[in-house]
Amino acid sequence: MKRVLLAAVVSITACFGARTPEVVPSVPVASLPGHDRLAVDTSPKEGLRMVPPEAYVRTYLQLFGGLAPLAVQKKAKGGDGAQLFDAWSDYLATLGFPDDKQDLPRATQTNALMVATFERLGAALCDRAVENDLRSKKPLAERVVFAFEGEAKDEASFTTRFDVLHRTFLGYPEKLAPGRAARFYKLFTDTVARHQKDVKPKLAPEETGWAVVCEGLIRHPEFHLY
Amino acid sequence: MNRRSFFSSLIALGAAAPILSSAKPASAEDEFFIFIHGTGGWDVTLWADPRNERRGIIDPATTLNTDTGLVRLWQDQTLDDDEQTFKIVQPAGCKIPFGPGIGKLVEHADRLTVINGLAMNTVSHPDGTAFSATGRHLVGGRVATSSIDTMIANELGRDRTFPIVSVSFPSSFVGDGLDRRVVPLRVGSINAITRVLARSEKWETMADRDAVTALLSAEARELASRSHHPDVLEGMAVQYDALRKMLGGELQQVFAPGALRNAQSGFDYKARFGRDHAINAAFAVEAMKRNLVRCVGFTLGGFDTHQTNYKNQAAIQQDTFDCVADLVRALDAAPHPTRAGHKLSEHTHILVMSEFCRTPQINVNGGRDHYPNNSALVISPRFKGNLVFGKADSEQLLPANAKAFALGPRPIAPPDVLATFLSAFGIDHGRYVRDGEVVPELLA
Repeated sequence: MKRVLLAAVVSITACFGARTPEVVPSVPVASLPGHDRLAVDTSPKEGLRMVPPEAYVRTYLQLFGGLAPLAVQKKAKGGDGAQLFDAWSDYLATLGFPDDKQDLPRATQTNALMVATFERLGAALCDRAVENDLRSKKPLAERVVFAFEGEAKDEASFTTRFDVLHRTFLGYPEKLAPGRAARFYKLFTDTVARHQKDVKPKLAPEETGWAVVCEGLIRHPEFHLY
Repeated sequence: MNRRSFFSSLIALGAAAPILSSAKPASAEDEFFIFIHGTGGWDVTLWADPRNERRGIIDPATTLNTDTGLVRLWQDQTLDDDEQTFKIVQPAGCKIPFGPGIGKLVEHADRLTVINGLAMNTVSHPDGTAFSATGRHLVGGRVATSSIDTMIANELGRDRTFPIVSVSFPSSFVGDGLDRRVVPLRVGSINAITRVLARSEKWETMADRDAVTALLSAEARELASRSHHPDVLEGMAVQYDALRKMLGGELQQVFAPGALRNAQSGFDYKARFGRDHAINAAFAVEAMKRNLVRCVGFTLGGFDTHQTNYKNQAAIQQDTFDCVADLVRALDAAPHPTRAGHKLSEHTHILVMSEFCRTPQINVNGGRDHYPNNSALVISPRFKGNLVFGKADSEQLLPANAKAFALGPRPIAPPDVLATFLSAFGIDHGRYVRDGEVVPELLA
């Protein structure tokens, strides 16, 4: 018993008599040896994926003025025999929608035919948007795509207007994509020059230029991948 | 040889292995491929593995369960007092016994390689389809690996405008080491491609659209150069380039059904059970003549006859194999696009498959259900013609051992067919087909 008591006294004394833990002062990470150039990995850990076809079509309908699919089909087709659009059913499979009737699964990767479909649909939207926004001279608040006015006389005025389109289609300012405005300006001016020589009856040269810029954005990889 | 020299030669061999495995016969660069899926599961007893006797559980096709009036090669043979079955179709010189469903394809028997007794281990449509096309069963309902057309195109078709056009063929693009250029173009009909490629000239010109596509291709490459995962963006750049080729070459005509019918008038576009399928075969020939594609896949048939519609099974087979025979004839008539003096058929390889076969017994509804046996057909200059390989047992129609494989005797299975098909073109089958073993007996 004596031994047990002695052991208890010794251990209690040892506990209470222990030194308080040393406090390590905090220092900036960069001041630690070897940590001054430590890289922080902020890279995305997963590759880009295709926007689901449902999301693509929903966005397309919104850009067309928030209309229902059949209303968009009617408006895109128009009554002018321009053959800009056929019917949604012609595009569903190539857009990547699953087709249970044909036993086609959902497409998860883009392919050349899908890219061709994006072009077909993009042209229909942009050409009709030129008619609806630029030609009709609607107030800016009522415009969906070309929510700007005035001519693009030089690169600076083009870039201001391009920024509006860039934010609409890709969701961020064009300044964050260095060099893109210049590349699109060249596309715009080349198109305008081409159509000044050979004027198409449907659109004026500058209107065609804007239609082509719009197509470039709605068919852009950043529009289709996330 | 001492230990040191043994290990150095081993290392040298190891270093050379990737080079050896990637080496392909130069001639494979000019080859074309057609993959045909007979949908629904065909009755092999009416064509590849004919049965005209009651033995074990086998009920042969008879005049009571088959509409024989539509079947040209059906010749009555007495089965019992009130039923007639068919005579085996085997012209002089033909080593393969056929059923009457083979139709006019029997005229090309010297080029046919028939594989019988394929062990499917499934009676599910999606699983059988995936197993036949990929060599792997579904995993949790998903396709586990790429289909045969993707495997071939990944090795031989990257430079084509359309590496793979797949008209309802069960093409899949799954796995590592695949080039995104060979993502199959899957459509429900050729007409869908025509619609997508149509362009109005009343607004922008071809030059305008091409300038946009060129810009987007450059944008995709620029984004790829800054991306941690560049392959998707690089793939999209390649697809923009492919679009420029597609629209620049007035290819719409190749896909227009009317133009295809005019160009390939030898197909039967009014076939009772295959009128929509002939256009796909016509497309395959026209696209290959122009060197646009490497692989074309499409479906034929509609063999899922559980009910009294089994009466049409033989006629559906006849229309299917008539279409394949027309395809062979059209390929014979077409010149090879890059090899002067060569016929397209000398460099085109056709694989015809289905998901499984049908039960040997007739069910209470007068039809046949799903059965885990199968047959496949290859028409290729690299395969032995006039050959039947593998077998099903005589009483139950179940796959029987075909030969001694590496792990012992067993029936042949779809992975073996796919591995053999790949190896015929110098492709390292182990890279794509996990379970298959090459069957040299099939190769020419």
